[in-house]
Amino acid sequence: MPRRTSPRSLALAVPSLIAIAALTACAGGQSAAPSAGSAGAGSADPDAVITIGSENEPTSLDQIFGGSSGVTEAFTGNVYEGLFRITDDAEVEPLLAATTDVSEDGLDYTFTLQDAEFHSGDPVTAQDVKYSLDRFISEQSIAARKRQLSVIESVTAVDDSTVAVRLKSPSISFTYNLGYVWIVNDTAGDLTAAEDGSGPYTLTDYRKGDSISLEPFDGYWGDAPANGGVVYQYYADPTALDNALLTGAVDLVTGQSTPDALPQFSDENSFTIIEGTSTTKNLLAFNDRVAPFDNVSVRKAIYSAIDREKLLDSIWDGRGELVGSMVPPSEPWYIDLVDENPYDPELAESLLAEAGYADGFSFTIDTPDSGVQSTVAEFLKSELAKVGITVDIRIITDDEWYQKVYTEHDFQATLQTHVNDRDINFYANPDFYWGYDNADVQTWLAEAEAAASTDEQTELVKKANQKIAEDAASAWLYLEPQLRISTAEITGVPQNGLNSLFYVSGIEKVAS
Amino acid sequence: MLRVLGNPVYALISVGATEEDIAAAAARLGVDRPLPVQFLDYVGQLLRLDLGRSFTSNLSVGDEVLRRLNVTLPLTLLSFALSVLIAIPAGFLAAWKARTWYGTAFSALTQLAGAIPVFWVGILLVTVFALRARILPAGGFPRTDWEDPQAALRALVLPVLTIAIVSGSELARYVRSASLDVLGQTYLRTARATGQSFAGALLRHGLRNGIVPVISVLAIQLSTTFVGAVIVENVFALPGLGDMLLVGIREQDFPSVQGVLLFSTALVLLLGFVADVLQRILDPRIRGTLSGNHRSRAAA
Repeated sequence: MPRRTSPRSLALAVPSLIAIAALTACAGGQSAAPSAGSAGAGSADPDAVITIGSENEPTSLDQIFGGSSGVTEAFTGNVYEGLFRITDDAEVEPLLAATTDVSEDGLDYTFTLQDAEFHSGDPVTAQDVKYSLDRFISEQSIAARKRQLSVIESVTAVDDSTVAVRLKSPSISFTYNLGYVWIVNDTAGDLTAAEDGSGPYTLTDYRKGDSISLEPFDGYWGDAPANGGVVYQYYADPTALDNALLTGAVDLVTGQSTPDALPQFSDENSFTIIEGTSTTKNLLAFNDRVAPFDNVSVRKAIYSAIDREKLLDSIWDGRGELVGSMVPPSEPWYIDLVDENPYDPELAESLLAEAGYADGFSFTIDTPDSGVQSTVAEFLKSELAKVGITVDIRIITDDEWYQKVYTEHDFQATLQTHVNDRDINFYANPDFYWGYDNADVQTWLAEAEAAASTDEQTELVKKANQKIAEDAASAWLYLEPQLRISTAEITGVPQNGLNSLFYVSGIEKVAS
Repeated sequence: MLRVLGNPVYALISVGATEEDIAAAAARLGVDRPLPVQFLDYVGQLLRLDLGRSFTSNLSVGDEVLRRLNVTLPLTLLSFALSVLIAIPAGFLAAWKARTWYGTAFSALTQLAGAIPVFWVGILLVTVFALRARILPAGGFPRTDWEDPQAALRALVLPVLTIAIVSGSELARYVRSASLDVLGQTYLRTARATGQSFAGALLRHGLRNGIVPVISVLAIQLSTTFVGAVIVENVFALPGLGDMLLVGIREQDFPSVQGVLLFSTALVLLLGFVADVLQRILDPRIRGTLSGNHRSRAAA
């Protein structure tokens, strides 16, 4: 990993090189080094095309065929719109649904639609909404939120601009979940290489393995974008991505995945580091079905034996946050539960003795071979050795993880990052891979979903939140920081990026 | 291949997917059918010259391979040409001046450069030419491909240098040993005795003898350059075949991986064939035998 002094000071120190760079760069059609001194000065250029560097290339362009979080980052809110929109602060706002009526029993929703147009020129009609919702929960869909939206019983197009949705049971998160469902043109056909959405941008070029180019859509019903288009440039190698930012080949990166690389961007005149809150929780998940992890005291002992502050510091250098449960601060039912299981090796030892493991025991952590996880595993191994527990680290591939851990539940403990928002619900599913089975938690979370008001929902989820922390259902290690880095010419970058959402229409670049 | 890669469905789903979702995805990809059926189906596709569609992106694999050749083919050919340009003079010089200090230094240098990992050379070049001097891009390839040839060439300078340094050094060692072989031959002395100049004798007799084993090495080397491109594309973020292969493996995208492999295998076989033909043209002694390959293989 190259760690160099600031590129700006180097460029200034060697004026002759700047001349060469300018000469060769104009031929290449790529912008040279960020021009000095323009930070904060000058006005935004509405025609500037923003180049966004990302490691998160969509596997597919269609969200229902496993487009992964990459397609959310590139398309949701940019190319496609939902009936609702989740803001950067996790609030639900109406988008294509101009008005919403909910029946007394919470089962019937009636939406009137915004007067909007698809990129192909067709108007957005109730038929399109019906087609899109049906498509999302169809048998062949593997969309991430399909299970939550399967609460839909039927969708009816009342007239061109009115849609009626009937639910099987009340669902307070229904409009929130709709924020992730794209409304697509019902005549669009195959969406794996083309698009027909109603968002502020159209797809102009798709080069798999390389880039996605978006241009502003002239017929957009809402506010026009503040830029002249965006290009998502994808990188498989984090160092290559950092180099692209250092040399001005990209204007910003959506997520910095290697904390070691941060010092390169510390010069405030050249770069802006934007730290937001994420929903990415890194956790040591126990198989709560098998001994000794079926014993609450053992789980609590392990949790208390880990100095999470030290762990977070050593990996993210003071960035990120500690969490005491599955709920990050950006969710309405957050409570500070970090001290529920404090770092206390003596407490851990007494809990172990209480559970009948005074002499310790040994277990295996199945560790995916991605990112920082092997470092985390080594840290846990040394922490747990201090209270007499022997850890075997077994590195596995993602494929093995899905087969052995996720599907077959054949594991003792595993390390995993959970990126989704509002995923405390996994603790209400006893068949989930970690197998946490508590009747109260299941009842509270089911009642919360059927609640009549968000206040009632929040109270119930909080109870479940408290309970899983008391039970140390898993050992939640920390919340990853959301780090975006841009050159100093760029403003208006979404800060938080909850669940990979990344709205680009507000990004501006200062004219140079 | 399917067994090596694992279940492609796992690359598509996310945490939270149910068993029904997994089954539905498997059915859509057709991987729930018995393996012999899948295999016959694939062979049938190949006979229609169709490499199928990617499991993940659903794009046509054939089209993707062709598009990525825009990057990989020039990268491979240019690096190869440059490495030959480095290797032949360097190797010959090292052999000719084998007894002098700089001849020895030369062969030591080629030995060293050939032993450096490709990606490391790439990182080094990026640091010097892209991050410090800023005269060349650190990576990437123009989105317009070859519409702007100058930009495309600029994007290939560092990757080509990277491959050429490493594989040129390897090649130089082959050239050196072939040259040493030829320089020690009595026919060269005989030719000089007939009044030919050293250069003339070398060109007329030495080159023709020395080049034969080098050609078979060249063919192998060209295939290695192609493989080297896989790693280099990753370092320089070039959207070529190597990138397609790596991402394909990571996403368990069997049609893409198989498509790239079939294509590169065909290319390597073709190169081997061309090398054999060339050798027969250049060396009348091989022309007479049926198994001309033996000599060159041994020499390699």
